[in-house]
Amino acid sequence: MPDAKFTPFNMLALLAGLIFAIFPIFWMVSTSFKLRSEWVTSPPTWVSSAPTVDNYLTILAPQILLDRRGGTQQHGDEGFGGGKDDAAGGAIADFLNRSAWPGIKGSVIISISATILSIVVGLMAAISISRYRFGGNFTPFFILAGRMFPPIAIAIPFVIMFGPGIFDITDTYFGLIVAYAAVTVPFSTWMLKSFVDELPQEIEEAAMMDGYSRWRAHATVTVPLIKGGIIATTLFIFILNWSEFLFALVLTYTNVQTIPVTLNKYFSATEGTLYGVQAALAMVSIIPLIIVGFFIQKHLVRGLTLGAIKR
Amino acid sequence: MVTNTSNGGASSLGLRKPRRFDPNDKRIIPGLLITPVQILLIVMLIFPFVLEFVISLTEWQPIYGDFWDAFNSVFTQKINQGISYNYLVTDEPRYLQALGRTVIMSVISLCLEFVIGLGLASLFLKKFWGKRVWFTALLTPMMIMPVVVGYTWFMLFQYNGPINQVFGWIAFSPVNFKWLNDATLAFIAVIVTEVWHWTPLFFLIMLSGLNAVPENPIRAATVLGASNFKIFWTIILPNMKAVIIIAFVIRGMEVVKLFDEIYLLTRGGPGTATETISLYLYKLAFEDFRLAYAGSAAFIVLIITVVLINMMLKPIRYQLVEGR
Repeated sequence: MPDAKFTPFNMLALLAGLIFAIFPIFWMVSTSFKLRSEWVTSPPTWVSSAPTVDNYLTILAPQILLDRRGGTQQHGDEGFGGGKDDAAGGAIADFLNRSAWPGIKGSVIISISATILSIVVGLMAAISISRYRFGGNFTPFFILAGRMFPPIAIAIPFVIMFGPGIFDITDTYFGLIVAYAAVTVPFSTWMLKSFVDELPQEIEEAAMMDGYSRWRAHATVTVPLIKGGIIATTLFIFILNWSEFLFALVLTYTNVQTIPVTLNKYFSATEGTLYGVQAALAMVSIIPLIIVGFFIQKHLVRGLTLGAIKR
Repeated sequence: MVTNTSNGGASSLGLRKPRRFDPNDKRIIPGLLITPVQILLIVMLIFPFVLEFVISLTEWQPIYGDFWDAFNSVFTQKINQGISYNYLVTDEPRYLQALGRTVIMSVISLCLEFVIGLGLASLFLKKFWGKRVWFTALLTPMMIMPVVVGYTWFMLFQYNGPINQVFGWIAFSPVNFKWLNDATLAFIAVIVTEVWHWTPLFFLIMLSGLNAVPENPIRAATVLGASNFKIFWTIILPNMKAVIIIAFVIRGMEVVKLFDEIYLLTRGGPGTATETISLYLYKLAFEDFRLAYAGSAAFIVLIITVVLINMMLKPIRYQLVEGR
């Protein structure tokens, strides 16, 4: 109904939808700038009266907070128990030498490596399936099977498999990279397949007529021509890898950390829930996702529906 | 040139067929291209699958020591085999409850997501101010990672959080819902979280479906005096059937795995009120460390999901594979 008017009732519905979508994000942003005393109040504080970046400093640069409080030797509760408005008050003291950097580093290393592995493997499979119909209907759906299993059901044997005795790669970057790639490869294969499908086969055939071998035709003709699709898929797979939580939770202990696991650690702190600090870490972790997601907005639906819906 | 592309010509000319391995052969290249993904999936999917079945026949737990002893005992001793499976079905109501709860939760959230997504999508067919900005804003929840979604709603659903405050304004008296400590309310909280997170995807899919509905039948029906509801029911909905099925199948595949949000929001609590199958398996395996037992529970889940999802994929199988 393209000619229909946008009525006030429609406006109300849209407004309700927007508030529903945006309010939680607003709340997270707002909490990440709140003072310690405003984290839990009744009635809740909507916007901080004196916005502070201390929550961000706690996770990114605890050294600055430490210096402000007079160094590590005073690390404890005796000297500054009264500083209630200080975001670095008593409860956080234990976190001051535990910044989120190991988590961020782990997330970056694992997400990027797993994305590259998943894309390379997926691209080869996509060409094989799309151009040569390899395995008919069976192979594409066999690959998709990796996405059908609930991850927890596959994580249980992973724990045994990764443990000593078989592969012995628990708590290593390599183990997580392979695990992440295995669960994202169905998405990368299917999404890339939809991009390869769209490219006319005649272009490659022309290149082969001119004397290119099949490998060279695929590598120098197909791949550059679906460059946009590959970039979109890469970013999409990056989002999936960056968000992965369960495998990191059960397959890592201390050596390797990722942001979701770090977030969960601040969460289960015995000192109480560190709302502001967690919100700050959550903000840090979702900013790359929102930027990436904004760029591949029009490809998101293709990725999430395995290439079934194009726009 | 001939040897470079195909060997077909060589044999027809009566020449000796080259015996060496030619990676450019049309019959070999698809196999070579698919090998990496097959290796990855066999090592990371099929092997664990088999391993899970084997350990599920034992009673092994990490504290029992070396895994291989338990593994061998499956083949050497004839004891305890399948005991976990019997026990699960007959004496473990929590398992069946978790399965049922997962199904109920999935159905409710998918229906809500569908209705809200379709409603919002139909708004976006019209012209209004700032469409692109609102569009992006509506999509944002989808891009946020599940853990952060769970955490954000954990903040919002606090006893003294903003949701109770807003309800208080509406009711003109303070409202004290203990969202995460009451069985029914916690269940609702989980569904609200899930709906918030994934409605944007339904919105996107429905929007692309609505845009593909042909305009002429709608104009004709309008001229003939059909009501809006009639147009929607007899023209728009049938035209969107394929898209709706895809949306439900793809989301259905994901929603039964729901874990991260619930883990952060309620950890399956209070009691077992929001314990979905993923949460239940997690608790069995990584809180009680009954890995073998959890393995048998997980194995049943694997079988069920693969069978169910293959059934659901059937109607869109052609569309997925052909992709054009």
